[in-house]
Amino acid sequence: MTVIDPILADVQKPTSQARGLPNAHYTDPDKFAEERDALFGAGWAGLAVASDVPETGDAVPITFLDIPLLLIRGRDNVVRVFQNICRHRGMILVEAPRRIEGAIRCPYHSWCYSTRGQLVATPHVGGPGFNTHSDLDRSTLGLIEVRSHVWRDVVWVNMSGNAPAFEEAMADVIARWSDFEQPMHHGGTDSQFTLTVESNWKLAVENYCESYHLPWVHPGLNSYSRLEDHYNIEIDGLTSGQGTLVYRQLTGKAGQRFADFTGLDDKWEAGAEYLAIYPNVLLGVHRDHAFAIVLRPDGPTRTQEHVHLYYATADTDAELRETNARQWKEVFEEDIFVVEGMQRGRRAPGFDGGRFSPAMDGPTHCFHRWAATRIAQRRASA
Amino acid sequence: MTRTLDTALLRAHAVGDLAALVALYHEAAMQAEDEDCAGFYLTHAYVFALERGDARSDLLRAELVRLGRDSIAPPEAAPNAA
Repeated sequence: MTVIDPILADVQKPTSQARGLPNAHYTDPDKFAEERDALFGAGWAGLAVASDVPETGDAVPITFLDIPLLLIRGRDNVVRVFQNICRHRGMILVEAPRRIEGAIRCPYHSWCYSTRGQLVATPHVGGPGFNTHSDLDRSTLGLIEVRSHVWRDVVWVNMSGNAPAFEEAMADVIARWSDFEQPMHHGGTDSQFTLTVESNWKLAVENYCESYHLPWVHPGLNSYSRLEDHYNIEIDGLTSGQGTLVYRQLTGKAGQRFADFTGLDDKWEAGAEYLAIYPNVLLGVHRDHAFAIVLRPDGPTRTQEHVHLYYATADTDAELRETNARQWKEVFEEDIFVVEGMQRGRRAPGFDGGRFSPAMDGPTHCFHRWAATRIAQRRASA
Repeated sequence: MTRTLDTALLRAHAVGDLAALVALYHEAAMQAEDEDCAGFYLTHAYVFALERGDARSDLLRAELVRLGRDSIAPPEAAPNAA
């Protein structure tokens, strides 16, 4: 018989009656481990962006939820994700980002793998100078690949390997933003930055997907983007966020602007949307640029926010690009004190997960409801 | 292996000079007094050639296969295959 956790049941109530996830989900390593499987492993989670490995052979080791992974662009120009370990003794293969010119050679006993993961050499495995053994079939000992998919430059991974196909799982959000299914170009080194926050990853999601805080935490936006110019977005079990009706394009000193994406519906002329794709990818689209933020948890109380900006054309005005990146960085930095403050608040024993504004906190509660449902499902199947 | 070759190999290892390692281990294989010794050095030359994406890896592997010390790689497994 499935035992319903009364706390998780409370989280799943209607927004007006629900409370949020309790403190332990933000501080407890055991809950963090549970969420790794229930929230990250079971579906599609963001790992990195394909632009992290722009050239063939580029390889970036990433410790994701304590799991050593390797992001690599193969000689066939396909981006893949592998577990970053040798199939021999489990040694870490790649310690730092670098270009693989030929094969990935394990630094321990020099077993070698192609950039597509095949085991291609096993030196001395049959004794000195004998590189084969009848009991060792190289074709079965390639690198362990993690199921992955690239969409909007984000490299999504499905650790369990059995989630629905990405296009199926994300169908609603792909359809919502179908206007933006067109080439976009990473702005380069001046259009990416990383913020480290002393906070559980969920607080970054929760803060991102609601507009309630905007006039208080980002007063600079008030001059043209008022609270009433925003609307909530909720797609149960997939994403939530906010939209604005008054997006204003950045204009340079000489009147220059970024080129628009092509063929957009009129609603995007002054509209923009910001979605938290559960669990850990925060996306934004505007007529002339987009961004992706991949949240990488580093334990239950620290998160790295990897921010990347994209444009409709490969060639953009450098000054304008730099200004845009700086402005977004300022906005995201303004959020740090609240996510870190809420994290410290999770040490207060009297906090019961908090109540939601029925009018304003729908997107945040949508995320909580999804998390509670997935955790309950995980426990039921255990 | 001559002392000069040994010294050169140690230096190449110290600085991670893969091209030199391929050449020096190949040279060591050529100087080897028996096939076991040659197979050992050829293996090292081959591995470092693989690592640097060196075209010599095909020839080194072919030599190892000829000596019965490696298998013929399926084409798609070659690290330089498109």
